[in-house]
Amino acid sequence: MASLRHLSITVAVAASLLAGACATQTGTNTSPSPSQNAGAPVSGGTLRLVGGGDVDHLDPTSAYYTVTSGIMRGYARQLFGLNGVSKEADTTKGFAVVPDVATEVPTAANGGISADGLTYTVKLRDGVQWDTQPPRQVTAGDFVRGFKRICNPVAGAGAPGYYTSTIKGMAAYCADYAKAFEKAKPTAAALAAFQNSHEIAGVKAQDDRTIVFTLVQPAGDFLNILSLNFSSAAPAEYDQYVPDDATFRQHVISDGPYRITQYVATKSIRLEKNPAWNQAADPIRHQYVNAVDVKMGVTEPDAVQQQIEAGSADLAWDLPVPTAQIPRLKSGDPDFKIFPGAVTNPYIVFNLQSKNAGGAMGKLKVRQAIEYAVNKVAIAKIYGGADVATALHTAIPPGNIGYQEYNPYPTSGDQGDPAKCRQLLAEAGYPDGLTLVGAFRNAGNHPANFQSYSADLQKCGITVKGLPVRQGDYYGAFLQNPSIAKASKWDISAPGWVPDWYGNNGRAVSQPLFQTNCNPGTSNYGCYSNPKVDDLIKQALAEPDQAKAAALWHRVDQTVMGDAVIVPLNNQNTPIYKSKRVQNALYLPAFQLYDITNLWLNPNSP
Amino acid sequence: MTLTEIRPDAVTDRTISGRSPWQLAWARIRTDKVALVSGLVVVLLCALALAAPLIAAWNGHGPDDQFRDTGITAQGLPVAPNGTFWFGTDRLGRDLFIRVLYGARVSLLVGVVATGLAALVGVIVGLLAGYYGGVIDTVLSRLMDVVLSFPYLIFAIAVVSIAGPSLTATIGVIAFYSWAAIARVVRGQTLSLKEREYVEAARSIGCGDLRIMFVDILPNLLAPVIVLTTLLVPAAIVFESTLSYLGLGIVPPTPSWGNLLSEAQGFYRVAYWYLGFPAATLLITTLAFNLVGDGIRDAIDPRMERLFSLRRRRRRRSGGHHSRARHSEARRSEARHSERSKEA
Repeated sequence: MASLRHLSITVAVAASLLAGACATQTGTNTSPSPSQNAGAPVSGGTLRLVGGGDVDHLDPTSAYYTVTSGIMRGYARQLFGLNGVSKEADTTKGFAVVPDVATEVPTAANGGISADGLTYTVKLRDGVQWDTQPPRQVTAGDFVRGFKRICNPVAGAGAPGYYTSTIKGMAAYCADYAKAFEKAKPTAAALAAFQNSHEIAGVKAQDDRTIVFTLVQPAGDFLNILSLNFSSAAPAEYDQYVPDDATFRQHVISDGPYRITQYVATKSIRLEKNPAWNQAADPIRHQYVNAVDVKMGVTEPDAVQQQIEAGSADLAWDLPVPTAQIPRLKSGDPDFKIFPGAVTNPYIVFNLQSKNAGGAMGKLKVRQAIEYAVNKVAIAKIYGGADVATALHTAIPPGNIGYQEYNPYPTSGDQGDPAKCRQLLAEAGYPDGLTLVGAFRNAGNHPANFQSYSADLQKCGITVKGLPVRQGDYYGAFLQNPSIAKASKWDISAPGWVPDWYGNNGRAVSQPLFQTNCNPGTSNYGCYSNPKVDDLIKQALAEPDQAKAAALWHRVDQTVMGDAVIVPLNNQNTPIYKSKRVQNALYLPAFQLYDITNLWLNPNSP
Repeated sequence: MTLTEIRPDAVTDRTISGRSPWQLAWARIRTDKVALVSGLVVVLLCALALAAPLIAAWNGHGPDDQFRDTGITAQGLPVAPNGTFWFGTDRLGRDLFIRVLYGARVSLLVGVVATGLAALVGVIVGLLAGYYGGVIDTVLSRLMDVVLSFPYLIFAIAVVSIAGPSLTATIGVIAFYSWAAIARVVRGQTLSLKEREYVEAARSIGCGDLRIMFVDILPNLLAPVIVLTTLLVPAAIVFESTLSYLGLGIVPPTPSWGNLLSEAQGFYRVAYWYLGFPAATLLITTLAFNLVGDGIRDAIDPRMERLFSLRRRRRRRSGGHHSRARHSEARRSEARHSERSKEA
């Protein structure tokens, strides 16, 4: 999953292992149309984004923060992409894959996908150009170079598993790459030499305008994978730089409507119109605003919100709408919208390996007791109440394959049932309660979350001792490090999960969260392992019929909830605010941001 | 002793009796209304903090009780002050009044314990350095310099990330930062005192080093140490709030004023009480402690004049001029300690 606004959500790497069978492709080929009431497009002006921190990477191959994806939409293109939506009710339409540099969505009918579902042939659009002197066409070779950069040892893709589990020869190529630089110094020349002398068996440029992918197994979500920013094209010039180092960041070459004209780390980014781009060769973007200015260093959501309301900024960069302002904004501010979410955020995860309190977390009855104990409405209030967050009962949230509403641990009004919790605890052998360690991020809403659920647990006799963890360390250095879990440093915690894509996304939700994986970097933080679940995941990924696959994913959900591996707390919607002059704001559900390449400013000064 | 001043208005034409320096100090502080009122505020705060569980039991609101129906709106906003919640509620529907009181327990505990520890360490180190001089002095003085020149937040972050945030870690960090200020003053005073005739006399009749240090010299150091300690307490309280505000101090749900301020920062535009009451309490507490400290300093060591001293104004009005016995070394150390207390 991609990391979102740093105050609210998360970083996690989805390590995928197995690929599945072909499913019907549901992509549509529609270009975004200006939303109603927006009037005629206005060109010009500078879009001003204000927020706290820097991008994680500028290199499309390695960027994983959604805010980075937000501006990357202006300067890096993939074979396929996603469209923004103008209305809250249309959000699911934003899940569909549409062609970007590819001329059309490949299907079995148009010959793009072979009968066995293993070969994808993709034709490239004419007129897509790099911002070079003189401008040069983007070729199939540039995409091949992009794929070869995915597992570079300096700044590789955040989720290489999506590629190694689907593309033929990708795993071997990545292993060779890692081995070659075990000791060797990764200089720009050495990296380029490796990439130019090694091939990925399943990624071939048939000619300048045709690229052919061969898969290890049919995969119905392959086009989603090709639409991630890791799959961007890379010009030959990138061979001169170490990926994403300081020099690279000053020489990013655009093939989109905007190019980076200034980047000052932790201070500002400026994008201006790319003269090499032309509208005819881009079905999903426009070039309405003259420039995009990102100003960093304002870390208070309230301060950003005030600037947008005052008109001195247009959009928030990496900060959420302040929770306390939502009731006021909701009562009639036309620039405020809440787009429905499809995420499990937050949820409670148990450290099944912990030996604390007599190995309580390993006992099903104790976990089930906690399932009944938590007041999910109280958690929702921390995020602004029922408008913003709704109680979630399933391991797979709505908008993701396998979701079906059911409630295995019902409590009255989702407000928790301390009596039921106590009864189960007594049955589990803890009639006098127990003490657990609860790890929480000491920033944003997370301390409040912790205090809310720990008060619920206190009511049924479970004392939760707080263990604050720095926001930046929470995932990578703490939860995803199984040796910390094995050492019983934590018993319970409340992370969040936002999938890298929606729809047919078992590979981006159930597999990383619930498949047996206790290696460093796992997203199965508590090291849950059930052979039945592993088997169902394998079957679901291999199931060509999407309806049947959905049924299998739902069985994964039921088994996981039966084992009480997580307590789903909320599905969170995305409140988002814009300045008055931002028109045609199209919401990209995968990034939880407005599309900077389709909006215009009226009035357009500054 | 440095308490040699005799104020003409303190000498009445009634019975003339001998007064100890402490009696003199008390006589002076009694005329200092600012110090008295501040003292009263401090006493009241301590009483309220001690009585917090009783008050919580009386109104039925525990410090961690979340009133999710009455104490928070459907959209998650805190409730304004009313008859049930005197200071309003926080974002989880907890009674802010009770939490501010419980926060006072933590803040005062940290302030007093950390400063007490600092005073203990500071006095011992200062005495050793001042009395023995030479290598011991050099080593200990450089140690003080190192501690005083440490960037305290970076140090605090380092300690907390190793030891994990807790009450003990907070007290430890604050004490570590405060002892050197005291040690410097004590060292300076000891340097001058050890040359005094009575110390020479003690030595000549064969008293041991320990006896001289702790029986002969220490009582004469108490005045500056008491003054400095009183002024360090509010600094420690603010330090604790800073650490908790940054998430490096007291672990929630235990309320401390820093935690309350930290939680309130997203709500100041919609819930003035959430930030207002803890901030006001913190302000009043530190102000009261500082004014009490000032008053004590005035009383024990009347040579120092405060900017807004009522007594001085009164004295000016009456045109009174006092002869002041000044001891050069004492003045120098006094200057040094006032400079340190400003830094603290």
